Amino acid sequence: MEIPPLVLNILINFAIGLIITLSLNLEVGYAGLPQFGRVLAVLVGAIAAGAIPGRILAAMMGKPAGAEYAYHLINYRLVEEINKVLATNPLLSAAIFVLTLVFAALLGGLIGYVTAYPAIRLREAYLGITLLAFGDALQIIAWNYQPIVGATQGVLVPDPFRCIGAGHVRFVSATFIILGIAILIFIFIEKLGRSPFGRALKAMRDSEVAAKVYGKNIPRLRAQALIVGSALAAVGGALWAFYTGSMKAITYNRLVWTFWPWAYMMLGGTGNNVGVLIGVLVFSTVRTLIYSYKGLLTTIIPVNPAWLEYILVGLAIVLIVMFRPQGILPEKPALTLPREKIEKIRESIKV
Amino acid sequence: MLELILKALAYSSGIALGAAGITIIYMATGTFNFAHASLVAWGFYIVFSLYSILGGSPYYYIPLAALFSGFLGVLIYVTVNRRLLKARATMVTLMMSTLGIDLILFAFINIYADYLTEHYKLSAARYFVLELKDYVLGYVGETPIKAICIVAPIVMLAVTLSIHAFLKKSKFGIAMRAAIENPSLASVLGINPEVVYLTAWFMGGALAGLAGGTLSLVISGHPAVGMETIVTFFSGAIVGGLYSVFGSLLGGLLIGLSEYIGIYSLSMAFGGGVLVYRPMIPLLIMAITLLIYPRGLAGINWGRIKAFLTSIASRGGR
Repeated sequence: MEIPPLVLNILINFAIGLIITLSLNLEVGYAGLPQFGRVLAVLVGAIAAGAIPGRILAAMMGKPAGAEYAYHLINYRLVEEINKVLATNPLLSAAIFVLTLVFAALLGGLIGYVTAYPAIRLREAYLGITLLAFGDALQIIAWNYQPIVGATQGVLVPDPFRCIGAGHVRFVSATFIILGIAILIFIFIEKLGRSPFGRALKAMRDSEVAAKVYGKNIPRLRAQALIVGSALAAVGGALWAFYTGSMKAITYNRLVWTFWPWAYMMLGGTGNNVGVLIGVLVFSTVRTLIYSYKGLLTTIIPVNPAWLEYILVGLAIVLIVMFRPQGILPEKPALTLPREKIEKIRESIKV
Repeated sequence: MLELILKALAYSSGIALGAAGITIIYMATGTFNFAHASLVAWGFYIVFSLYSILGGSPYYYIPLAALFSGFLGVLIYVTVNRRLLKARATMVTLMMSTLGIDLILFAFINIYADYLTEHYKLSAARYFVLELKDYVLGYVGETPIKAICIVAPIVMLAVTLSIHAFLKKSKFGIAMRAAIENPSLASVLGINPEVVYLTAWFMGGALAGLAGGTLSLVISGHPAVGMETIVTFFSGAIVGGLYSVFGSLLGGLLIGLSEYIGIYSLSMAFGGGVLVYRPMIPLLIMAITLLIYPRGLAGINWGRIKAFLTSIASRGGR
């Protein structure tokens, strides 16, 4: 099966974008928190993928697994050796893959719990800026503190997809595995949104006082939304690090991992997961196309197409905010039970 | 040490000016302006490009930078912000709209930098250090005194005093404060809030341009310079409380000085390895301030503290 690289790029950008944007939608669309620090949890996930699986495997192989693991001259050779082992051992690959995602989710949840402290005390813009500052701060640490993930040199991430095949096959299988996880997360978030928890979040977003009157614990709900959202975003970050095979803190900036997901979400429809899916699909397709046809575009327009991308995303945000704040698919009230079930219940009551 | 203090003073004056711009726009319209990043960066590029093309002194072009960014501020208000304010958009929506504008302006800065590189053969257009072109006024011992270290604080003080005079003494300034406090009541008295918002956007933009223009002689410039420094401006504005221009000027000074002096003293204590963490200082100061005073320093009830202090003083007097 030969899939053109362009389609593959669109698919992987779509899958990762979907995971991050859904997690953002849970916090912004459902819970109404101004999450301007999405990159924080994504970066935590990527750090987990860069720091944990390689060290576990290195320790198993009796190689350096401490601070020296992240030193780039050791790291490059070590990860190559690890990858050779992983290539012949599918079971170990799968185990290390799942284990890392679990670690990423746990660490993401932990960072969500940490950010809940300001989220309970601060409101609106103040909270948004504080979260943004947290994200920037972690990036600065990861970019400069060598012993965790190699600072400016970055680290290589062990490749759990290597056992399926090399070259093109590896990228195809990795893309579809990640796409599958993205779809699972979509189903999970959709179910969560319809659950009592999701409805409580929406109630809190619409009127905190009313939710309080009905006995909802507001600080707890805010914290829970942040924990779940951050855990999912961290999984997204870890998957991206696995896919690219390397982890460099500089690439996890607030523009790509906070503001672009915001744009995707707003285009699709804040609070509507299907809308978010459409928004991510539209944006990731357009962005990948611009990126792939850079050369062609340069002959048509006199400017570097990279800047075209910024203008496009910026213009989309401004136009959506001004003319269609509800997005492509506006939020609908969550239907809790299918109609047939309700009718059946009615029948049973009649009898 | 003297050189460090002088540079810190110039830097923090620039930060203070930008923070004041954020505060003015926030006070008047409730918009937390992300586009400030690009307005500042445009200030950098106006000074750099005109100086490189026309020659003369970089100082000639700093007022032009302020005017240009002020004009951009007006443009933002007229095209986007006015409509959103009329629709009573939420704070987060207003914030997002300025983020979109910021991305567009950022793209245009990059296009402009490319244009400068190709058309005027300015190889430094994507990374320039105007600091080297600054005048040396004299020497104290071995330390050269750069002109910007004197000019920036003077500009900052002059701007502070003139904004203060404008808001407190001029008729329009008083009308402006009235419209900020209570737009509907002010409009009953014949004040047009839209004119006030427009003026605030112009002043905010101009302060951003001025900040960019002065900072271009202190730190190196590149298209993403605004994006990198925006959090520092935010910190200054938030630490200052977001409700008074004086506060934000003080906040900006505090943030800028602590960035330079703080990292210097930390590096004395822990070695040069900590120097790379300098950008974290404004972030930490802001986070700590907000966690202690969730509404910034303006959230402190100064009246009560004053009453408390006077009660202590009077008790002591007896």
